[in-house]
Amino acid sequence: MLDTIKIMGAGFLNAFMPINLLMMIAGTAMGIMIGCLPGLSAAMGVALMLPMTFTMKAETGLIVLGAIYCGAIFGGSISAILIHTPGTPASAATAIEGYQMTLKGQPGKALFTACYSSFWGGLLSCISLYFFAPLLAQLTLKFQSAEYFWLSIFGLTIIAGVSSKSIIKGLMSGALGLLLSTIGLDPVSGLPRFMFGNVYFAEGINTTCALIGLFSMSQVFILAEKKIKARAQATKVTDKMSLSREERKMIRPTIIRSWIIGNLIGILPGAGASIACFLGYNTSRQFSKHKEMFGKGSIEGVAGSEAANNAVTGGSLIPTLTLGIPGESVTAVLMGGLIIQGLAPGPSLFNAENARMTYTFFAGFVLVQFFMLGIGLLGCRGFAQISRLSDAILIPCVTVLCFVGSYAIHKNIMDIVVMLSFGILGYLMRKFDLNTAAVVLALILGPIGEKGLRNALRISRGSPSILFSSVVCWVLIALCIVGILSPIFMNKLEKKAEEEATGVDPDDKKPVDLDIDND
Amino acid sequence: MKMKKSDIGVVIAFYAITAFFYAQTVKLKASIQTYPKFIEIVLFGLTTFYLIQMIVNAKKHGVESRNEDFKDFQPAQFFGCLVLTILYLLAVNYIGFYVSTLVFLVVSLLYLKVKPLPTAIATVSILLLVYLAFTLFLKVKLPRGILF
Repeated sequence: MLDTIKIMGAGFLNAFMPINLLMMIAGTAMGIMIGCLPGLSAAMGVALMLPMTFTMKAETGLIVLGAIYCGAIFGGSISAILIHTPGTPASAATAIEGYQMTLKGQPGKALFTACYSSFWGGLLSCISLYFFAPLLAQLTLKFQSAEYFWLSIFGLTIIAGVSSKSIIKGLMSGALGLLLSTIGLDPVSGLPRFMFGNVYFAEGINTTCALIGLFSMSQVFILAEKKIKARAQATKVTDKMSLSREERKMIRPTIIRSWIIGNLIGILPGAGASIACFLGYNTSRQFSKHKEMFGKGSIEGVAGSEAANNAVTGGSLIPTLTLGIPGESVTAVLMGGLIIQGLAPGPSLFNAENARMTYTFFAGFVLVQFFMLGIGLLGCRGFAQISRLSDAILIPCVTVLCFVGSYAIHKNIMDIVVMLSFGILGYLMRKFDLNTAAVVLALILGPIGEKGLRNALRISRGSPSILFSSVVCWVLIALCIVGILSPIFMNKLEKKAEEEATGVDPDDKKPVDLDIDND
Repeated sequence: MKMKKSDIGVVIAFYAITAFFYAQTVKLKASIQTYPKFIEIVLFGLTTFYLIQMIVNAKKHGVESRNEDFKDFQPAQFFGCLVLTILYLLAVNYIGFYVSTLVFLVVSLLYLKVKPLPTAIATVSILLLVYLAFTLFLKVKLPRGILF
């Protein structure tokens, strides 16, 4: 216990190093900027910045990625409040009350509420990260080859269902990713597989290039296919950016409730910030003493949504870091960053060798919340102007960053070719409701699963019974089944929450009779 | 839910990918065929399951007549950007990263009807960002071509 506290303390000291602090500031500012641009997403931002972290120390690299993640989730609220366009889906519920406050002449108050609640949501989520992550990681000590195989299957079934309109299509995407992960030298015999005579593919498909292509380059194509329209003028923030003591007291219980909701949603693989924001918003309305304010610019509504979506960040890192199961696209990219640094999720992150790095990252994650509050409050007006940046400017600029980012990995033009190919693949997949996150995760988990399966079969001399030989295996098989079925429940939950919050059925877009005033 | 016409293409593409990989798998040494074959069978099974689901949906709810996936598609803009991106890829190796990036940014921004001043600002900002972050900070040697 004392040792753990000592390592935690050392982590904080390490996080306070000037380079780490500098990277936190840069990462948070970049994240907010990406988040407030309606065409860009948190996953895309993290993927785009991934190559820049290669030469950094592992903890510094992870801090940058974590800062972009947190910043982007908060950044989405700026455009949601000022131009009624959520920068990311995680801020969709914030737009409801936030924009009403702007119309009432209170954009400053709305932005302060969003920033203040995001800060508390994110900060409180670090508590669960500190306490649950090491405990859950210990569980994986019982894992052997067969268990690792099932764990990778579980990770795939979970991600396949996330953000897919069809579970089967999600699973098909995962299987396609698994097939692509077999390109390269066979991990056991070293014989070439599907390399088509090109030695470039000996080490398989470069995961970072695939990540940049699937998340960032594909987004460029999505932007390029749509008619470019001028964005609405951001409302000038003329009122004071603050809340009175009574108002802060009023939103305190809302923040705590939303923190719990967001944290649980984050820990649950398969659910993400977009669900949490609506659940946080709905719960704040249910418990509010001022229900009449909802739909007319309620600060409780903004606080409920923003505290919940930022509370997801810390929670979602728990299954990612301990089990290697990212619950959503952003954490899948973050896990890619972890693996690229030569680290494996699980108990090894908390052993003597890596604990210092892990706890520095955790401490950095705590400090990022403070930077998010500071940068958010000071820079809101500037970020609001950035949110108006036209897609016409974003398209070529992001393309250049995708090119230089993928080239920087091995200084090989082939990496750009792979990135561009995955960009086109990602674009087509998104157009036809397939799941790009499942492909990425399959590329990461595929080799782990294959190694686990083949080692297990080697130990059992080819008998598949070894895959069903332990209680942990059966638990993981049961979780795989739950993983396949959970999207049905999650989709219903998201639809219900969105329907209750907006009064519009997300499926048929017909208004439903609710007590919310949408005028 | 109505069956989407575009899903026929998705199913065909998945069958084609599976068939292509299967044809390559049988050429591999027998000792390393099992795992890829296992995935190909899974992919084939899932695609077939989806095909059945599509047929059931088509019988129950009908077929979506309009192609909603490409409702707001701007062909000139999209293919223009795609061609410029491919030309940029080809140019990077021959005329160098900085020169080709400068040309790509200016041509793309003007093609997308961005006014000259924002074009100049965006081009200079991105080139400066790349130079500071990748050349100075990360010490990445970006491709040099016939110019520099």
